[in-house]
Amino acid sequence: MGKKQSIGELTSLLAKSLRHKIGSIVNKNEIYSQKYAKDAEVLLKEAQKVSLKENWNSYDKSEIKQELEKKLTKELEEKTFLDESKFNHINSEITLVLKLLELD
Amino acid sequence: METLKFIHKISKGTRFNQIYIPIEMKTIFEVGDSVEVRLIKKKTAQYISKNLEIGEFKKKLSAEIVNFISQLTGVEQAFLVGSFLTSVDYKDVDVLIISEKIIEEKVYSLLTEKFGMKFHIITMPKNRFDFLIKACPLTRSMLYFFISNKKFELPKEIVIDKKHIEFLLMMPKDLLEIKLSSKVFYDNFRRLIAIEKFLENKEINPLEINKEMREELKEKLFSYLKNDEELDKKSIEKIREIIKSKIKKIEENLWERNKV
Repeated sequence: MGKKQSIGELTSLLAKSLRHKIGSIVNKNEIYSQKYAKDAEVLLKEAQKVSLKENWNSYDKSEIKQELEKKLTKELEEKTFLDESKFNHINSEITLVLKLLELD
Repeated sequence: METLKFIHKISKGTRFNQIYIPIEMKTIFEVGDSVEVRLIKKKTAQYISKNLEIGEFKKKLSAEIVNFISQLTGVEQAFLVGSFLTSVDYKDVDVLIISEKIIEEKVYSLLTEKFGMKFHIITMPKNRFDFLIKACPLTRSMLYFFISNKKFELPKEIVIDKKHIEFLLMMPKDLLEIKLSSKVFYDNFRRLIAIEKFLENKEINPLEINKEMREELKEKLFSYLKNDEELDKKSIEKIREIIKSKIKKIEENLWERNKV
């Protein structure tokens, strides 16, 4: 798999993972968020596997961040049942996850 | 002095809890005498959900666990749920605690230290619990079998919260695009059956869910998923087809309700 393709796969998984995580945060009164934040963790682990397959340079990291921002925004826009406050969490959650994967 | 003793239960007093001297011993134990009070058996209040068949060993151990948790500060009610109660093949003991405080970590370390077992702890405040037992198929399924320190019954009345169901459908929908482990497919297939049953206002018995899943997937595929084994392309496609049709059925049901 080429680097471009890996970036595509990685950002898709991360966008979905963060959509689950943000969903658990903003819908915390509805769901037992701990248990179903598990969905976010499952997707994050998968993203981690993809991330570890490549050596990322600073240009790649910046591309990952940009692509992830776009994809996550789209994911959240599509999920109209999630509270509107979901958009407030985009930047902080992206920063956190990229740090975790050492992609910051 | 000759050892004089009696065994009595502690009763609740208006200000203090108390132990009464039996009437036939009132001339032996008199006002002003000194006595020693020793705990010989801890009270074990245990409420078991209907239809739960559980062996004596697990029953006794469960009683000890829920009673231990119920005595911790901030715990309103404790439940043991999940595969520990229904299967010999369990990885950990699932514990649900109703509490206004964030106490998972403290409870986890106390339980691990005391019982030397692996625990998975969920805590939630009472108001969220009250909502979920009416509106969440997964919570209702989880509490179909339980052991608790206090009486509990799932409410008959359910609340269909469209947003909540849509939230639960997110992961099954993701599985139509992403290939994850068989265990994730297994969990989400079960989740969809639970939602279907919930929308039909049927009981969500976890054992029945497995039975239904086994029938739909047939034995071989069912055990591949359950045992988290690698799936070939054809099997994944088959599972995705069923997942897709279940999601469609659920969404149609929600849409129909919205029209009314």
